This record gives sequence, C-alpha cells and structure tokens, in this order.
Amino acid sequence: MQEEDPISVALKQEEDAAPNEAPRLSVLQWLRSNLFSNWANAILTLLGALAAFLMLRGVLNFVFSENREWVAVRTNLRALMTLSYPESQYVRVWVALGFVVGLAGLSAGIWSDWGGLPIRRLATWFMGIGGLIALCVVVREPSVLMDSEGKALSTLEGSLQRESFGAAMADRVDWWIAALVLFTVGAVLWSRYSSVQRRHVELPITSIVYVGIGIAILTLWVVPYGHYAFVDGTYIAESGTTVAFSTQMPWTVMWVLLGLGFLVGRFLRSSQYVGMSKTGSNLLWLICPFALFWVVLRDPALDYGHVMSTDLPMGLAFGLLGAGALWLLTRSDIGEAGRIAATLLLIFAIFNWVAAFFGWYPMLQKARISFLLLAFAALLAPNFIGDIAKRRQLVLGWVGVMALVHYLATMINTPSTVDLQSDEFLGGLGLTLFVAVIVVVLSFPLGVLLALGRTSKFPIFRMLSTSYIEIIRGVPLISVLIFFSVMVPLFLPDGMELAELAAVLTGYTLFSAAYLAENVRGGLQSITKGQYEAADAIGLTSAQRTGFIVLPQALTVSIPQLVGQVISSFKETSLLAIIGLFDFLRVANSVIPAQSEFMGVKREGILVVAMIYFFFNFIISKYSQRLERRVGLGER
Amino acid sequence: MNIDDATAAANDRLADRDDMIVCVNVDKFYGDFQALKGVTATIKEGEVAVVCGPSGSGKSTWIRCINRLEVHQGGDIVVDGIELTNDLRNIEKIRSEVGMVFQQFNLFPHLTVLDNITLAPIWVRKKPRAEAESMARALLERVGIPEQAEKFPGQLSGGQQQRVAIARSLAMEPRVMLFDEPTSALDPEMIKEVLDVMKELARSGITMMVVTHEMGFAREVADRIMFMEGGEIVEVGTPEHFFTNPTEDRTKLFLSQIL
Ligand SMILES: Nc1ncnc2c1ncn2[C@@H]1O[C@H](COP(=O)(O)OP(=O)(O)OP(=O)(O)O)[C@@H](O)[C@H]1O
Ligand SMILES: [Mg+2]
Repeated sequence: MQEEDPISVALKQEEDAAPNEAPRLSVLQWLRSNLFSNWANAILTLLGALAAFLMLRGVLNFVFSENREWVAVRTNLRALMTLSYPESQYVRVWVALGFVVGLAGLSAGIWSDWGGLPIRRLATWFMGIGGLIALCVVVREPSVLMDSEGKALSTLEGSLQRESFGAAMADRVDWWIAALVLFTVGAVLWSRYSSVQRRHVELPITSIVYVGIGIAILTLWVVPYGHYAFVDGTYIAESGTTVAFSTQMPWTVMWVLLGLGFLVGRFLRSSQYVGMSKTGSNLLWLICPFALFWVVLRDPALDYGHVMSTDLPMGLAFGLLGAGALWLLTRSDIGEAGRIAATLLLIFAIFNWVAAFFGWYPMLQKARISFLLLAFAALLAPNFIGDIAKRRQLVLGWVGVMALVHYLATMINTPSTVDLQSDEFLGGLGLTLFVAVIVVVLSFPLGVLLALGRTSKFPIFRMLSTSYIEIIRGVPLISVLIFFSVMVPLFLPDGMELAELAAVLTGYTLFSAAYLAENVRGGLQSITKGQYEAADAIGLTSAQRTGFIVLPQALTVSIPQLVGQVISSFKETSLLAIIGLFDFLRVANSVIPAQSEFMGVKREGILVVAMIYFFFNFIISKYSQRLERRVGLGER
Repeated sequence: MNIDDATAAANDRLADRDDMIVCVNVDKFYGDFQALKGVTATIKEGEVAVVCGPSGSGKSTWIRCINRLEVHQGGDIVVDGIELTNDLRNIEKIRSEVGMVFQQFNLFPHLTVLDNITLAPIWVRKKPRAEAESMARALLERVGIPEQAEKFPGQLSGGQQQRVAIARSLAMEPRVMLFDEPTSALDPEMIKEVLDVMKELARSGITMMVVTHEMGFAREVADRIMFMEGGEIVEVGTPEHFFTNPTEDRTKLFLSQIL
C-alpha cells in the first residue's frame, strides 16, 4: 500500500461516506448487513422508510398546496427583516449590513485556512440534489382541481378531486428540467474527475461559497422574485418594483464587499501585520454591533451646542484626568498606595450606582460608567508598572476606551432622525440578531467573572457569585425580562430613547451570564491541581495564572456547552415579544396575519422564520465543531 | 580516611558556603494530622541534597513548603535570606528564585513547548519575547530536545515532557531547583534520560533538593542524603556514610527494602 498522506486518508473516508461511489454489489451488501440483517430489522427499516415517505409527502403537499399564500411572505420580506424602518433611510440598513459583510470577508481572509473540496465530492452533491428534487416531484401528490371561483373540487364521496398523475408530472416539467440539469452537471463532473490522476483535484471552499452566493445574487437580476414590496405601509405592485428589483443592486454590492474584504484579509495574512490585523478585526467585531445600531441605523441628530458644552468637555476630562491618574498609579514606587486608591475608587464607583437607584444626587449615566471603568483600570494598573512603554500602553488604552464610550454614549442619548412608525425603530430579524449579538458579547465576560468568583478562594466572592447564579437560574427568563422592563427605566435619564430595549439588553445579559458562568465553571473544575501548582511554581501572579493557564483550558473544555448557550440565547430572543418588542417571530406570528390583505396567514411566515433560525444555528454549531477540532490540537 | 571522616570533610567543605535553604523546627498539620514534626535542616549554596524515605513520610510536604505550595504552621523557612511569611511579595520573590519539577510534569497542555518555557520569563521576568525564545531554545538544546520546540506537550513522551518541565523551571534562572520524584511516573527506559539531565545540572553548581528513590543517582551526585520518616528527619549523611554505615535502624530497614 502506498504511503498514507492526510489527503488520501481523507479521500478514503469520503469514499466510505458516499454510497454512490461504492460498487453496486457492496451497496446491496451494505443494505443487507445494516438494514435487513434480520426480520425485525427489516420491518423497522420498512416502517422507517414509510414514515419518511409520508413525512416528505406531507411537507411537500403543505409547501406547494394551492392554499398556501406565500405571497404574504414575499410581500413582507422587508417587514420580516427590519419591520417598519422607513424606506427613505433604508440605505442605512444596507450600509450596516455592508460593514458586517465586509468585516466577515476580512476575517475569513485573515483567520482561516478554509481548505479545499474535491470536485468529485461536489459532483456527488449536484447529483444528490438533482435526485432529491426528482424524488420530491414524484412524491408530491397531484394538485387538487379547482373550480372557477378557486374552490377545491371534491368527489361525490367527499374526498378531494385531484388531477391525474400524468398531468401532474407534465405540470411540473420545470422542476424536472432543474433536476435533470443538476444531475447531468454532477454526472459529467463526476466522470471527468474519476480518473486516478484527477480524482484528487480540489476547489478552494472559499471560491465555491463565493461563487454560490454570486449565483444566488445573479438570479435576482434575472428572476423578478417577490411580486410586490411592502414599503412604508403600502404595497407597491407595479412592474419593476419587486423585491428582487429593489435589492439586486445592494446585494451585488454586498457580494463585491465580501470578496474585497476577503482579498484584503488574505493580503494582511501574508504580510507582517498579521498579528495587528487579527486584533484589529476582533476589536471591530466587538464595536460594530453597538456602532451600527446606535450610530448608523439611528442616525442621531446631534445638538452641537450640547456636544460642545457638555459631552466633549466631559469626555476630555475623563480621558485626560483618568490618564493622569493612571500614569501616577503605574509609578514604580507606588506600592500599597496604588491598591488602596484603586479600591477606594471602586467603592466610589459602585456607590454612584446605589445613589442613582435612590436618586440621591444627579450624575450623568456616562459619568457613572466612566468612574466604574476607571476603577477597573486602576485595579489593573499594577500589571503595567515598569518601563515607559508599558505605562504608555495603559494610558493610551484608557484614552481610546474613553473616546469610544463617550462617543457612543453621546450618540445613544441623542434622538434619532429616523422617521419612526412605531415605538421601536427596528424590528424583525434585525432586532433579533442585534439583541442576540449584544447579549452574547456582554454576557460572556460577565459569565467568566461569575464563574471565577464562584470558584474563588475568597468566601465573599464565592457567596456573592453563587447566590447570584442560583437566584437567576431559579427564575424564568420571562420574569427577568418583565422585571427589568419595569426596573431599568428607574436608572435611566427621563425620556431616554429605547428604554425598553436597554431594559431587555440588561436583563437578558444578566440572565444569560448566569448560565454561561455555570458552563465555564464546569470547565474550571476540569483543570487539575497540578496546573495551578505549576503556574504558581514558575512565579505567575494569580491574575496571570487565571488568564494564561486556567481560563484558556477551561474555555476550551466548555466550548460545546458555551455554544449551546449561545444558540439558546439566540433562539430565546423570541421572548422579547412578551414585553412588547417586535422580534422576528412576532412579525410572522402577529404582524403579517393582522394585515388586511393576509388576514390570518400565519403558517407560511412561521415556517420561513423557523428555517432562518435553523440556518443561523446550523452555521454556529458547524463553526463550533471546527473550532473544537482546531483547539483540540493542544489537548492530544 | 574512614567514612565518618568523609562526612566531616563534606560538612567542612560546605561549611564556608552561604546557607540557601534553612528550615528550623518546621511543623505542618493537615487537620489533626501532623505531617511534619519539627523538621530542621540547612542546605548550602550549590549543594545537592537528596531526600528519601518511605511513602507518607512527609517528603513531598516538606519540599512543597519550601516554595509555599503548602503553608507551614510552625517554625521558620528561610530561602536565600528571604523568610517565608504570608507577605505576598516575599512569596513572589521566592517563587521566582526557586524552580520546581513535579512527578506528573504538569506542563501546560494548551501551549507549545516553546510557549511553556517562555511564559514566565516574558511575564514574570519581563524579558523581550525574542530574548526569551532564544534562551528557551538554548535550554531545550541543553536538555537534549531542541527539535521539539513547536510541539504540544501531549505529542511528547514522558521523558521528553519531564525534560521540558526542567527547561521550563530553568528558564526563570532559579538559584534553587526542587524535584519531587521527577522519575517516578516514567517508564524505565526514560528514567535515564531525565537523570542524565539532572546530573548535568548538579555538576553545574545549582542548589538542588531532590526527593527520589533513585539510589544510583543519590550515590553519584548527592552531597548529602536526608532520610525522613513519620514527618521527621531521621538521619543525614554523605552517600558513603548512608549506604555503607547507616546508624539508625529505621534507615537500615528502609535501605534493605529498597536496594
Ligand atoms: N492534602 C492533604 N490532606 C491531608 N493529608 C495529607 C495531604 N497531603 C499529604 N497528606 C498526608 O501527609 C503525609 C505526608 O504526605 P507526603 O505526600 O508528604 O508523603 P511522601 O513522603 O511524599 O510520600 P510518597 O513517597 O508516597 O510521595 C501522608 O500521611 C499523607 O497522607
Ligand atoms: Mg510524595
């Protein structure tokens, strides 16, 4: 046998996986040994096949039934995505999306070696999909006959009258053509790449994905999908204003951005700036949900008088005075005084929030946040004591954070120029994704801190974290959301925009953090005592021990649970409907069925919503498997 | 020259050196159980001290008290002039001067060999990465596995892992190395490669305190052997004294079992 290089091993596994590739006889043998090995097995197999057949037929009959009003979904695509975001400013949605798409391309370019897919494998997919379409065409029952008023005809016995099988097949000729084309393309590729020299030829996965997306977008230019568009509360049904028509250009731009981002990422990957660009792209990912939502989508109407008199001076004051304080705190002769100052600052910062609760003295919210951040920076300061370069790092980092926080805070507090049609300016999938992303991004660090607190050797931290986690876990999410939608407005300036949303984000983040903490704790418990001792013995401080040794291993161990938590956070955003936000599911469940044109049309929308939820979660789960395999290297 | 003279001569040779580790009446309790009962010993700079004794006699407990992995309740421990108290700064100082090698290696499985070694120099000693890496490669050369730098610990044999662990400790340029049964978890064919590294270290003049049952190693490189039982040091002497003319009955019994 020739040597086993990884590629040929991988190929061999694929050959085992794809039954089409095995000789006919062995398929039969496989069937006999696996599905028909004895009577009981054979009966189970047949029953299973029957169940699968009935289910497939049921789904197909449902989807293609004459009673389905898919037009309700097509017409409301925009409502499903962004609800009532006004048409006049819709370009903002595209700009936000374009930023995300470009960043995704960039990250894909910088981070990953995506590898290749053998063309033969691709060919089997083509053939398989072609075959599946053909199967579906045959399995679906012939259509029900209609009378002139569009009512279904039934026979004298009361069952529905259907067209003949032959007529049904003839009606579906376009589907037959699609199946045939796919199958033929697959078969041709298959035979051209089955010779020994060519069977290992691969295409890069990135190009396959990119071309696939490109073809999907190209169809927008060819097929006028979505006969109507629902724009600013009215239906536009003239020719030329289909959904496909109004989105073909933006989607094409997205496609180009994705490609450009990828190329730039690839370039950076091979340049000397690779480390810096990785950090940079991560930072952009962290910032972009906040910035896109509050700045791009809301388009705040800045009041420059207020900016000049309050916002700017305050940001500068915190930035500069904080920088000065941190500079002092990182002096090498600071000693215990530094720790004491940091602790006092922390107490003061926390007290500000208590005071806010009781309304003792007024203070701008961003000042409270800034003091809290300054206290954390002061606590971190001992790690930056030393040469000028390290001290400068901390101080510049502080100035950067202050610039960002004050900029965002100003933006958030400024009323939007977007012409709102309802209380919340964004809804649908946009809102769902936004809440999910923010909750995950914010609850992650909080969850890690709670887990560390719960396993800490200080009883006070342990007690606080444990009781927090147990209380939150003992309460349903809905009650947390309701509680916060009542409580949070107490902490916010009167009449602040988006109070409801802020409440949701706070409550949901705190809720999700408790669950994340438990997952992380599971990982922490798997770290052996020896790891702690080794870290101590080489002289790491306990913060370094946690950051370099304990957490990386604990998080790696808990990837599956963490991803499970991320997925369930995403799905449970549908509970936002309960406190009055218009999330994705609610649009399908109550907005569309309330429209006079589509009174009571629910099932179609919900099916589409379910499929889109599934699509996102499937990607997350696939990605986590990839991640697990990659970081698994260190554990072997 | 008879054997007791040899012991005396060895004591003389060490007498004018500085004290590196001084333990005076060290007591250690686990709950009600007293694991160390007034351990008193002095280890000189550059000395190689081997600690042996039956299982459960408190060898690990003692050696772990010296870099504060365990906290002693009574008596004093002074390492290189720094007394071990609850003062965090003293503990940090001592830990960066004392290297420790464990029975179970305790390498960091998520870091490459190179990162395992450079972590502490970069973050504790604040060395530039390039300098730390070149030192790490030199240390890997010294322990005989320069080609394994980019691998993960899980991809190495036990003997190689233990040598990486030794290199990791040496990267902090410690003045004292503690070894707690460094070869007990190894297959016989790998014991030698680790012992060879340790012998080379012993000759280089670093202070070493080694808990081990490898009597061949003790005989060859130890300046003194300390025999522990029941949380006490029962007998101390040069290898010649220890193997040919032990005075205590308990030592004789132990040696008859192990040799
Ligand atoms: N964490 C602990 N809690 C309670 N008792 C302990 C603990 N660690 C050690 N002991 C006890 O202290 C005594 C000394 O243990 P130690 O590990 O120092 O022995 P040792 O000489 O190293 O033995 P071995 O040769 O088996 O490693 C033993 O009786 C042991 O049971
Ligand atoms: Mg032991």
